[in-house]
Amino acid sequence: MAESEPTPSSNPVLWVAKPLVTAARQFGKSLFRPSTIVYPFERLEDPKFRGAVRVAPGKPIGVGQVWDNYRGVHALNIDTCISCNLCAFSCPDLCIDMVTVPGGDPRHPKKCPQIDYGKCSYCGFCSDACPEGCLTMTTRYELSVSKRADMIYSPERLREVFNAKLPMSPIRVERPKNEDAILLDAPLCIGCNACARDCPTKCITMVDLPKPVPKGGEKLPKRIWKEPVVNDSDCVRCGTCISVCPKECLFWGTHR
Amino acid sequence: MAPLSLYGVANTLVSTLLLHLAAVLPAPLSTLASNSGLITALSVLLFGAILLGASLLNTILLIWFERKMLGRFMDRRGAMHVGYAGLLQNFADGLKLFRKHTFKPRDADGLGFFSAPTAYMVTSIVMFGILPISTGWNSGSLPLSLLLALVVFSFAPLFIFLGAWSSANKYSLIGGMRSAAQMIAYEVPILLAVVAVILLSGSFDLSTIVAEQRNYWFWGPLFLALLVFVAGMLAEMERIPFDLPEAEAELVEGWNTEYGGMLFAFFMLADYARALVGSYLIVLLFLGGWTMPGWVPAPLTNFPLAGILWFQVKTYLVFGVFIWVRASLPRVRTDQLLRVGWMRMIPLALLSIVLAALVVLAKCLPVFGCVPSVGG
Repeated sequence: MAESEPTPSSNPVLWVAKPLVTAARQFGKSLFRPSTIVYPFERLEDPKFRGAVRVAPGKPIGVGQVWDNYRGVHALNIDTCISCNLCAFSCPDLCIDMVTVPGGDPRHPKKCPQIDYGKCSYCGFCSDACPEGCLTMTTRYELSVSKRADMIYSPERLREVFNAKLPMSPIRVERPKNEDAILLDAPLCIGCNACARDCPTKCITMVDLPKPVPKGGEKLPKRIWKEPVVNDSDCVRCGTCISVCPKECLFWGTHR
Repeated sequence: MAPLSLYGVANTLVSTLLLHLAAVLPAPLSTLASNSGLITALSVLLFGAILLGASLLNTILLIWFERKMLGRFMDRRGAMHVGYAGLLQNFADGLKLFRKHTFKPRDADGLGFFSAPTAYMVTSIVMFGILPISTGWNSGSLPLSLLLALVVFSFAPLFIFLGAWSSANKYSLIGGMRSAAQMIAYEVPILLAVVAVILLSGSFDLSTIVAEQRNYWFWGPLFLALLVFVAGMLAEMERIPFDLPEAEAELVEGWNTEYGGMLFAFFMLADYARALVGSYLIVLLFLGGWTMPGWVPAPLTNFPLAGILWFQVKTYLVFGVFIWVRASLPRVRTDQLLRVGWMRMIPLALLSIVLAALVVLAKCLPVFGCVPSVGG
């Protein structure tokens, strides 16, 4: 036992008097202002309220303050979203759907995350995974609605949250070292351009291959004589190219 | 001008109303309306209604006071939103309880089960008619009003036990047994402490007891009696630390386990009416009732209804002490409670009687000048 039990006093008068004094001290302390925050009327994040209780911004009232990495409703900057699908891919609750938003070209519609807060566990994996920092979590925590359908936030609603300019959790800017890269199994490639077409960051370029001269009797493979080259610094590792490749010639691997 | 009294006000109101009614009513009814017997009867009714209404309102205000003050003791705010600072919260709670289904357990005895809350309530309400809040508040001076008040006050355990036994529930029965044992154990020191007051004031009449405190309030010379009386009152009100008849942790809700809805509301209201009455008694017997000491400037004590105001201020202060105790102390065990009741409180009360007798004797010393009209 690290903490020893306080021994009770042998004086019965103290049994009564000590708690009375303690309670009176507490009463005097909370007479001016109890620790309770009258929530719908007073908000911890409201600067006016913080001024009224004379607490500097960023300093805790009572219990500690956790605003700098609070995980509330998401904010989505649709303009910078590249439709890479990483948020939906990383979501452990499968609460993110990629839905079409206006603004993409008709053949490759722009898709942005739509979040069902009935399923969301606020783990923050999606905002960690977002390579562009366009999906972040904010300090908004009021989500009560009267209809189940209202729990689903469309990209437009998420953009409204973004426009409200709430404090956001920090965006991961640095990519991890020794990240796996997209590698090409060259003999399998048919040069179909699917990877370059669907790459959200347009970091894949198709370079021309010299068409070999067929030797006597040898049949050349039936393919387009191009090959994808990945610009590694622009690649966000979304894996779209791997999933669209018809020949499974792209794969994850360490750098050469 | 006759001193302002509640019955006088009621009488004036009724007679004015009936006079105006008689002026517009046809002949046979107008003579009936101006009948003095009818006026008296209606006045008594109105007087009773005002007395009851004001007392129950005060009880509900007391509940509000406890909720707010206990909240501060617990570093929170208590009721906040219904009415100004939650003043109407208790009415809302009452309305909610009123809408609830009133039921009876299958094996419960209907007569006892349904009559106990009412009877318990009556023992508290009748006290409001007996205890004078101020001069002219009650109908007149009863020569034995203190005795009557204590008799009515002591009836409560009977009805608690009645309700507990009729509920056909073991928790109720245990709670009722505890309640009866506790209340009977603390009845004795309370009565003995009151004897000290009676010795000093020489009267069973509460108005006289208050009038006898014009020079000094009795809490000074009878501090021991006050301590015994307050502790006994805490036990009689079944408030923490003596709330073991309702000990939630072991007995669900004690003797009112089986009660719900309006029956529970009756018990709850009667509990607080009892607390209010207990505070009234302490103020009347030890804290000078509606009088204030001479050093209080006259403008503060001269205005109309000042007596009622000061009486209520003192009552709420006394009840505030009860809340303070409730916020501080844990619940005692039954054996501790009964041992303290029988083996500590009664000797202390007897000692306080001796002290009161000494004070009465000391008043006859030549130094102070003998006042033969005071004391036995």
